[in-house]
Amino acid sequence: MPKLIIDNLEIEVPEGTRVIEAAEKLGIYIPRFCFHHALGAVGACRVCAVKVLEGAVEGVQMSCMIDAQDGMKVSTTDPEAADFRRSVIEWLMLNHPHDCPVCDEGGHCLLQDLTVAGGHSIRRYEGGKRTYTDQYLGPLVQHEMNRCIQCYRCVRFYREYSGYNDLGVTGIAGRVYFGRLREGVLESPFAGNLIDICPTGVFTDKPSRYTGRRWDFERTPGVCIHCSLGCRTTVSARYRQVGRMEGRFSQRVNGDFICDRGRYGFYYADRPGRPRSGRISGQTVSVDQAVYEARDRLQRITEEHGPQAVGVIGSGRSSLQTQSAMVHLCRTTGWQGPVFRNTRITGAAADTAACALNPENAVSMRELETADAILAVGADPVNEAPVLALAMRQAQRAGAQITAIDPRPLEWPFDFEHLACRAEEIGEALASAAERLSDSRRPVVICGTEITDAGIVLQAADLVAGLRGSGKTAGLFCTLPQANSFGAALLDECNACAADLAARVEAGQIRALAVIESDLWHDFPDRPQLEKALEKLDLLVSVDFLDTPLFEKADIGIPSLTVFEAGGIYVNQEGRAQQVRPAHTGGLPITVTGAGDHPPRTFAPNVPGRDMPAAWVTAFCLAGQAPPETDAQMTAWMRYNFAVLSDLARMDADGVRLFAGGKTPIAHEATMPEKPEQCLELLLAAAVFGGEPMSDYSQCLRELAGLPAVWMDRADADRHGIAAGDRVGLGFENGEVSFVVRISDHMAPGVLVVYRHPDIDWQPRAGDTRYNIREDRIRRIEKA
Amino acid sequence: MLPEQIRAELEIRIAEADHPQELAVDVMLAFQEAAGYLSERALETAAAMLKMHSLEIEEIATFYTFIYREPVGRNVIHVCDSVICWLDGSESLMDYICRKLGIAPGQTTADGKFTLLPACCLGYCDRSPAMMINRKVYGHLSRDRIDDILARFEREEPA
Repeated sequence: MPKLIIDNLEIEVPEGTRVIEAAEKLGIYIPRFCFHHALGAVGACRVCAVKVLEGAVEGVQMSCMIDAQDGMKVSTTDPEAADFRRSVIEWLMLNHPHDCPVCDEGGHCLLQDLTVAGGHSIRRYEGGKRTYTDQYLGPLVQHEMNRCIQCYRCVRFYREYSGYNDLGVTGIAGRVYFGRLREGVLESPFAGNLIDICPTGVFTDKPSRYTGRRWDFERTPGVCIHCSLGCRTTVSARYRQVGRMEGRFSQRVNGDFICDRGRYGFYYADRPGRPRSGRISGQTVSVDQAVYEARDRLQRITEEHGPQAVGVIGSGRSSLQTQSAMVHLCRTTGWQGPVFRNTRITGAAADTAACALNPENAVSMRELETADAILAVGADPVNEAPVLALAMRQAQRAGAQITAIDPRPLEWPFDFEHLACRAEEIGEALASAAERLSDSRRPVVICGTEITDAGIVLQAADLVAGLRGSGKTAGLFCTLPQANSFGAALLDECNACAADLAARVEAGQIRALAVIESDLWHDFPDRPQLEKALEKLDLLVSVDFLDTPLFEKADIGIPSLTVFEAGGIYVNQEGRAQQVRPAHTGGLPITVTGAGDHPPRTFAPNVPGRDMPAAWVTAFCLAGQAPPETDAQMTAWMRYNFAVLSDLARMDADGVRLFAGGKTPIAHEATMPEKPEQCLELLLAAAVFGGEPMSDYSQCLRELAGLPAVWMDRADADRHGIAAGDRVGLGFENGEVSFVVRISDHMAPGVLVVYRHPDIDWQPRAGDTRYNIREDRIRRIEKA
Repeated sequence: MLPEQIRAELEIRIAEADHPQELAVDVMLAFQEAAGYLSERALETAAAMLKMHSLEIEEIATFYTFIYREPVGRNVIHVCDSVICWLDGSESLMDYICRKLGIAPGQTTADGKFTLLPACCLGYCDRSPAMMINRKVYGHLSRDRIDDILARFEREEPA
């Protein structure tokens, strides 16, 4: 390993390390615009100049372009190098507008920092500045080309790193332009990263314009809860509401980048309709009143009908605190539950995925980037867990062969081989595709849990075990339905699902339900069954921070806190428990109390709207117990009461891995019955924008969801005389739903795929996420 | 918009190439040859032929001086503005042509006879200052010589 001296300090670095990185290891920050550790070096900006005093090539050199070599002596402070850097900044500023006071990047702008650091304050050049016409790039990213310093970070990220090609660089010399061929919405679901990665204000955050400047915000490390990956974020809050979200570097989870669902999914937290007071039979009451009323009435039903008459339903979007408090609630009261999943088939798949993971086969997303072969089974990362697609792309760029077994028309931003088969055939296809991993040394099997079942997850886990047995460092990477589905699997004690409880309600065994932060209305596949059950109930208590239809229907509604106010621990799909700190103190945002004007000048000891408890506090209250007083005490309580959580004591900046040990997952039914003749199998699948309950509240993301569409295999479409863009009606048992048709050449024949969409009223019609639709019930309404 | 024979020839070359992208310039020039410039439709067609994103074609098209994305006159004058010609007074020659033709760089004369554009180095540094009209380069330029050259185009308009 080469040993070199930088600014009189000696350091030994691995072969191939650039001087700029070696210096960073010493704590010496060499200025840079184009260099980025995730994107590598291109030597475009010339601002990282250093002077090589001794070495193969002496003199002023770009520190991002030269490898550290043995015996090299480098100075970053040499007057010649410092003067070179100063000149670079001066000429970059020739064309850069002096609009810092009104620029949205102002205050967190690398160019601003380095201009100040370089001492450039007086403009010597008297010529005009070159100007550009900006483009409309969609609802998320604001374009301002005049500020560009041609570092090429944006295209390198967009094209090379993330694999989309509708943003590029046109022109030459003083006319280079970074943008699209024509104005339009950026196609990449990772486009928001342009905002983070641009060293100046060419790409800025559009939805958060005019809400605050960098220095106005309280910035808190956060964890994204819009899918199961648990990417790190930085939450910017101001005036008691979240204003902006950025990606935060994580060595283990997401690296530098996040997806746009994670970046813009937070608007649910401060929307006007969010529950902020208690509700009893439609009447607004204080939160305490609602909690006491709920406790008393649940108590009464318990006394009259026994503890079995009360059921508790939770979900994978609650924090570990809430989930464990719910388990505790049922332990102490004898109530049924808590159940954390909706149906047995998906619940069993997710549970099995969590239980199949062990310290040997678990891989983090960063480790997955070094895989040399990937087999993805029933997983669509772009839609189910977007940042995983970025990690897969990095593996593919490094030479990994990627194979996908899936019925859907997968559109991934990298080369892969798609073995399209129907959902029932995945197991068979997996068995015969396993040999593709035989030549690899570090294979990873990715397994989804949305369209698969527990059998396929087990098969994937067995495959990994077999590969490990033959001496490969094979890994298993499962995606789960929700941010804390893994926590639910760890804590579950009752081996049941919401469908089971609904059946018990119908049978008259359960008379009251406490539904805590559950998306039952949204995710429960059989809406008619759910509605029937709700009607039969004596009492429905809903605890939530979302104004879901279920909350509206509840006899007693109790508001709860979002992750930004309560924080919490969330366990991602690889069993990594990560702590989230509250991003702000909570209470009504000033935009609400001031109604767009200055907030009222009243003096009170309390922040208005701060009387809402976290859901776990409410769970303790429903059990008639005093909750732990602080977050730290709550964590200690969890460790003490749940053996599976005892490792939380070892949680550090990287979180801590929790494993289920020998836990038995919830039992699952046999796989789907064979498809009847003359039917197409209709599959409801996850979409990156649309269909995730929290981010569906973000207006800017709804714009990106497009129109509700059904994907058809070309042969199927031709048989029905249907063309792309036609509008068709699909006749369900309970009525027709209309869709725009998209046609694919690379999806499983005999399958129709509908991606979740906020405007599709699916559940009342289909009653399941899979539906066999008779071919004669497919009707063209309108030609394209 | 592309003569069928030329298109067929290009298709064969694309099919035979290891990396079809390497033929991007040839394809664009063929379209330009046929229509005088690379139109929006030609850009899209070229992209489809090469299986590239149309933005990737646009990137190459706008990088090269001799691919025109807008209609040009019958004769395109490229005045070299690189360093040797600049030292030898290319700026004032450009200015002279502008005044003579009554157009600014990037514009086309009203009669559609001339379009005036700058060009980076034409490789005529030993005979600077230089300009290129259509595919012929003229060196050792002076005002008189420019008058002579342009007069030739006035007289014998190439077909």
